Amino acid sequence: MTSKLVQALIAAMLALGLAAGSAQAAKKTVKVVFIGPLTGGVSANGIGGRNSADLAVRLRNADPKAKYHYEMMVLDDECKPNVGVQVATKAASDREVIAGATHYCSAVAIGTVDIYHKFGLPVIVWGAVLPDITYGNDYKEVHRVNGTMINQNDVNAKFSTGQGYKTFAVIHDTTDYGKGHLKYFGEYVKKYGGRIVGAFGVTADQQDFTAELTQIKSLNPDAIYFGGLTPIGVRIRSQMDKLGIKAQFIGTSGIVSDAFIQGLGPLAEGTLAFREGAPLDKLPGGKFFTAKYAEAGYPEGPEAYGAFAYAAMNLILDTIEKVGPNRNKVTAALGHVKNVDSIVGPISFDDHGQNTVAAITKYVVQDGKWVVWEDSEYASGKRKLAK
Amino acid sequence: MDAGLLAQFVANGLMLGMMYALVAVGFTLFFGVLDVIKFSHGDVLTVGAFTGYSTYLGLKLLGVANPWLQVAAVVIVACAAMALLGALIAKYIVMPLKGAPALNVLLITLMLGTVLRESVRLFYPDGANPKRFPRLLPTDAVALGSFNLRLDSVLLFLGGLAVIVAIHVLINRTKLGLAIRAVAQDEETAKTMGINFTLVVLVTFAIGSAAAAFAGVMNGLYYNEINFGMGLWLGVIGFSAAIVGGLGNIYGAILGGFLFAALQTVGAVALPFASAYKDVFAFAAVIAIMAWRPTGLIAERTSERV
Amino acid sequence: MNAAPRAPLWPGIVAAALVTAFAVAFMWAENEWEVVGVLAAALVAVLVARRTGWLAPAARAFEMREPAMNCVTIAALLVFVAFFHDDHFPLLMVGTVLVYFTVCLGLTIQFGYAGVLNFAAAAFLGTGCYTAAVLSAHTSLPHLLVLAAGGAVAALVGSILILPVLRTRGHYAAVVTIAFGLLFRTFLEVNDTLGGPQGLKLPSMNLLGMTFNDNFIVAGIEFSFYMHYVLAALALAVLAFAVTRRLERSWIGVSLDAIRLDETAAACFGIHLARWKIVAFTLGNFMAGAARALYALMLGFIAPTNFTFGDSLVMVSIILLGGIGNPWGAALAAALVVVLPEKLQLIQEYRFLLYAAMVILVLLYRPEGLLPRPLRNYLPGWRPR
Repeated sequence: MTSKLVQALIAAMLALGLAAGSAQAAKKTVKVVFIGPLTGGVSANGIGGRNSADLAVRLRNADPKAKYHYEMMVLDDECKPNVGVQVATKAASDREVIAGATHYCSAVAIGTVDIYHKFGLPVIVWGAVLPDITYGNDYKEVHRVNGTMINQNDVNAKFSTGQGYKTFAVIHDTTDYGKGHLKYFGEYVKKYGGRIVGAFGVTADQQDFTAELTQIKSLNPDAIYFGGLTPIGVRIRSQMDKLGIKAQFIGTSGIVSDAFIQGLGPLAEGTLAFREGAPLDKLPGGKFFTAKYAEAGYPEGPEAYGAFAYAAMNLILDTIEKVGPNRNKVTAALGHVKNVDSIVGPISFDDHGQNTVAAITKYVVQDGKWVVWEDSEYASGKRKLAK
Repeated sequence: MDAGLLAQFVANGLMLGMMYALVAVGFTLFFGVLDVIKFSHGDVLTVGAFTGYSTYLGLKLLGVANPWLQVAAVVIVACAAMALLGALIAKYIVMPLKGAPALNVLLITLMLGTVLRESVRLFYPDGANPKRFPRLLPTDAVALGSFNLRLDSVLLFLGGLAVIVAIHVLINRTKLGLAIRAVAQDEETAKTMGINFTLVVLVTFAIGSAAAAFAGVMNGLYYNEINFGMGLWLGVIGFSAAIVGGLGNIYGAILGGFLFAALQTVGAVALPFASAYKDVFAFAAVIAIMAWRPTGLIAERTSERV
Repeated sequence: MNAAPRAPLWPGIVAAALVTAFAVAFMWAENEWEVVGVLAAALVAVLVARRTGWLAPAARAFEMREPAMNCVTIAALLVFVAFFHDDHFPLLMVGTVLVYFTVCLGLTIQFGYAGVLNFAAAAFLGTGCYTAAVLSAHTSLPHLLVLAAGGAVAALVGSILILPVLRTRGHYAAVVTIAFGLLFRTFLEVNDTLGGPQGLKLPSMNLLGMTFNDNFIVAGIEFSFYMHYVLAALALAVLAFAVTRRLERSWIGVSLDAIRLDETAAACFGIHLARWKIVAFTLGNFMAGAARALYALMLGFIAPTNFTFGDSLVMVSIILLGGIGNPWGAALAAALVVVLPEKLQLIQEYRFLLYAAMVILVLLYRPEGLLPRPLRNYLPGWRPR
């Protein structure tokens, strides 16, 4: 009795497997790559991006109209430049990989663009914000769907000085990412009548910031501007409290993540940060993305840059569908992307492969959530930022 | 610089020094009884901190909300668990290596540390991400000008001090301590005097590992954050501190721990270059001290045996 | 000398051919099961060969016909890379293995011969890399000289440590080098002029008018640009191997062995301890620095995180795994340590864990390493009875 049941089951499974296999075999398999930080302090963002890119591939594979079957290779850059170069070399030297959505960390992306150029692999950056990634070179292989940190710091400086903060102490990580933030924020703060009273470079794995913060305390700034990523952002904010520093904490897009709030708990309240692109629920395709993401049942959220990762991967798949799985043709086709509709709004690449995203969204932490400033109780005057 | 800031730097430095000293004491105890360096010590600290964190989560599930009760449980569970882990490591990894080349022992314990660290990263739920360690101690603060001192920091410092005093009393005033010192001085003679060598070694490893667990929990309560890599750096610094102080001597370890913290603080504050160079300065000072006193500040009294 | 019977060469050639075939199969293996299968087959073959005594003639060939067998090994390696002449990734792996091997030869002189501990390998590798990066970016020095300069600067930086290393012993000496390794990395990280944590990019290597970063075509066959680097790394490795073996056989090698085994006794026999320790330490750092400078040019990118304490440990674990003091062991272990994790993609997440566990197991059950250093052979062909 049972053996018959087992036999029937096995037969059914085999039949299913064959059916699935033959359905796949009918289409040619094309490899694409996703690279992001899957381990380490910013892994939440990397995994959110991975899931989002994976969603794009899944939806495409489920689409009977698609010409190819796609396989997404996932590589972990650990947010470290040297590891990034290693995995980028691995992906780029694999001839079956046609294109990739790559990098959340600017420090990694700036190191790997040369590799993509050397091997001729077309990539779309989905999260790194350093301008030089696209503007520092003439590589036709490198594109980016998200904005750069220039506009972000413009809006940030204007807004912060407008809120009455005139003196800023800057803590930044010493990668090109942090240094870039220092540079652009410094320029714009001066323009809007503010002043930087001290800048402190810190390394990404530093644990104790009491020495730097004690010095900042003696400078007594109105606000502390932090140009870096979530893990040290959490440590610095928490140690500010330990030393009794009451200044306002202002971050960059690097701390817009749920991990920042989880890491700090109530201390995160009132933190300001800025990110390019409109908030997801105000985007044209935002509802579609959120619904599909929930449907696919990923355990982790898409995080701040998930939508960009989805858009990047989707654009890659569209292009391969159009011109076929050939690196050179994909590179050429991506060079002509103008006003292509996506879930993050229309994408247009300029001659450096940079998408022009003008909108910057201001965020503030309210009751354990990143809330768009205009919708927050801080804007309506119900709550007050630190003074 | 005004007095308040100076006091702030001193307070920060003392806190760091206490953590380093607690780790260094473990290294020096192990070396005393077995003449080995157990490099996985720093990662035992990490596992201890994560055990403490899990205990807290468990208590929260059980509905225990009294912070004092939580602190007590976290410390006790973490220390007990690590004492056990330390004894197990001693029994199954370190003791069988007696007589093996020192280099092999060093590498094996280093790799064991990697195994522990990677296990936390891979097998602890979401272990690759930093965890928010709860604030369980009262955070009332005293502010005197620019000097800000929180009650929890004071309590942690006193706790660390109590552990060090307890270890001191244990080593110098109890029968067990006498046995440990006897084994450290001469293993063969100690054995012929009827001391259970294995037991003494296991107990010593348990004590050292429990001290590391305490340092781990202390670290979590102080920084309100723990991550899988925290023990690596603390372990290396603790080892350097033990060496600079002079291996096999717990006063040396304590001295080394506070000295290292002092070097870092001075490097960050008083030197003309950027504060980021503080570790470069501290390690350079360690190398210079080793060149000056090749067997540490409080040297072991040994003679060359040929 | 001529009295010793000449061992036949063919068992060595057969062994080399078999190892090459295995290596090709291993590189070709795509998925995890093929990799594990090829590995298991090799393991079984080695065990069977040992049981049946077929290993002995091959070992004897390597031992007694060394110059010939060295040529055979080089030929086997060339055949191997010829199989992958246009495939970037396998060639990158081979280049990496050769560089790691050369670095470990340097460490073998330090640990294996003189017994000088060096846990700051990464710092000297880093010095070599950064020297190469700065020189190749800002000067027009020929790149062959850049490699030499990388080694020279590494040796020079190492001389800072000579005084504390000579004065301390055992664990105390270990902490000196560990502290230096950490200091070096932190320094790189906070020092802006050398790129900070962002790292530095390196241009392509140029040699005799050839640009190494371009693919090239010989007799109608396209070769990957990595082939240049593989050949350069091979030349470097051969050179380093020759130096190491000559050194080991010479009276210097005997002095170093004496120092390692018993400093007091060596000093009593009039061996100048400090001089030979300095020589071994400096030579080892030179080789490490020069080899890694080539690696930096091959990768085109370096960052402080390439030179952590963990990287020093990988180097030390290679020489311990291979069998301390045996260059052939270092070669085998370097190949395993570099290639195995790359092949086992499935365990990507777990690779550090498995690697650490493997080192522990090998050292617990085979404390001498995979290929222990044979007893010094003063008379060719003479065997202890």
